[in-house]
Amino acid sequence: MIQLSYLDYLAAEGKSWLHHLSPKLKIIGMALVLLGIVTLRNLSGLILLYGILLTFFFISRIPLRIFSLTLYPLIFAILFIFISGFQILFILLIFLKVLCGSTGVVLLLATTPYPSIFRVLGRVLPSLFVTALFLTYRSIFILLNVLEETQHALYLRGGFQWRHPWRSLNNISNAFGHLIIKGIDASERMYESMVLRGFKNKIHYRGE
Amino acid sequence: MSHIHLPDGVLPVWLWVSGFIIAILVGAILFRFIKKEDLARRLPLLGMMAAAMVLGASVEIVPIAYHVNLTVISGILLGPSLIFLATFVVNVILGLFGHGGITVIGLNTLVLSIEGILGYFLFRLFWSLLRRLTPAIFLATFLALFCSTLSMIGVVSLGASHYEELIHQERKGIIEFHLSKENEDQHQEGVAENKVNLKRFIAIVLPLGFIGWMMEGVITTLIARYIHRLRPDLLRLEG
Repeated sequence: MIQLSYLDYLAAEGKSWLHHLSPKLKIIGMALVLLGIVTLRNLSGLILLYGILLTFFFISRIPLRIFSLTLYPLIFAILFIFISGFQILFILLIFLKVLCGSTGVVLLLATTPYPSIFRVLGRVLPSLFVTALFLTYRSIFILLNVLEETQHALYLRGGFQWRHPWRSLNNISNAFGHLIIKGIDASERMYESMVLRGFKNKIHYRGE
Repeated sequence: MSHIHLPDGVLPVWLWVSGFIIAILVGAILFRFIKKEDLARRLPLLGMMAAAMVLGASVEIVPIAYHVNLTVISGILLGPSLIFLATFVVNVILGLFGHGGITVIGLNTLVLSIEGILGYFLFRLFWSLLRRLTPAIFLATFLALFCSTLSMIGVVSLGASHYEELIHQERKGIIEFHLSKENEDQHQEGVAENKVNLKRFIAIVLPLGFIGWMMEGVITTLIARYIHRLRPDLLRLEG
């Protein structure tokens, strides 16, 4: 989750041609990547698609540390090794689909600020969903600040240690409980300040 | 563990499209039970709980990507209608991170909201029967996660013929040439190899899932006890 603030920074401050491209075009591009993933059933097509996405990744000058985000979903693709009975070609097909999907979305996130993505989604989704998305996005940053403060308290109480599983579970649960209560208090204050600023079920974006 | 971390392009098109349609229908039905003014007032709370779920999903308790969902405690705090919207939002944000596919958002929303909604009703049931917080929360969480894992297995099983097609697709050569005597043996062997092994998948998922249900049950119980100590009004235990 620490990567989220870094991704947000990259999306807002990046200067490559992909950063300057319209968010609508990038989302359409992502939809085409998804279409490719869903329809392509041969390795060569998927390898070509992955190659194109990797090329975009590197020419957009996105830092390599973000690349590890694209590999995370492979952990779950491993379950398919057991479904297929260790068929190598099938496993490669699945892994390539995973990599194309994750590389595409990470590319989109790293070059487009979230509010721009939500604004485009607002044209197809009901305003209620988009408002909820926006509020969740904002809340993640609020909770990350709370989590940072809570981490110090957590370490003072022993943090997370394999040697003391019960204490560790207790510490993690208290941290999440604290996060939830602080979050609820923050949400009540957020609602009051939004109402004072004229909030009526919908968030309006600059340029509307 | 019940969250379907399936990539795009693995499930058949009819399955994930149906997932979206059913999710929209369920959402439309659930929102009829909530007043517009109440919804607007609780949107920031929904955002916070969804953010807590997203953060929970990104904190690995055990390596190999075990993480808490926090769906049951969110369901208890938000109620059945709002937890559905919250799980949709969580899945969109996780999908945008590559933590699960974009096309499976509908199916993931249905599976995760089963946890939240069942968790809410089971907690109310066990609280009214037992009048003790710890067993009520633990049992509600354990059973809710068990049911959502079963539904996840059901969803994956529905795509079995599609996986077989994908396997078969890759086994086709450019030129097919067989000697007549070997033809039948090879064909039978090919048929056996093209079958997906769902039993093996279930045999792996259920024990791993059991560990997850226990862990999330314990963590959710401890979180609920913490909330009950500081803000008992949030759990709405009276009545």
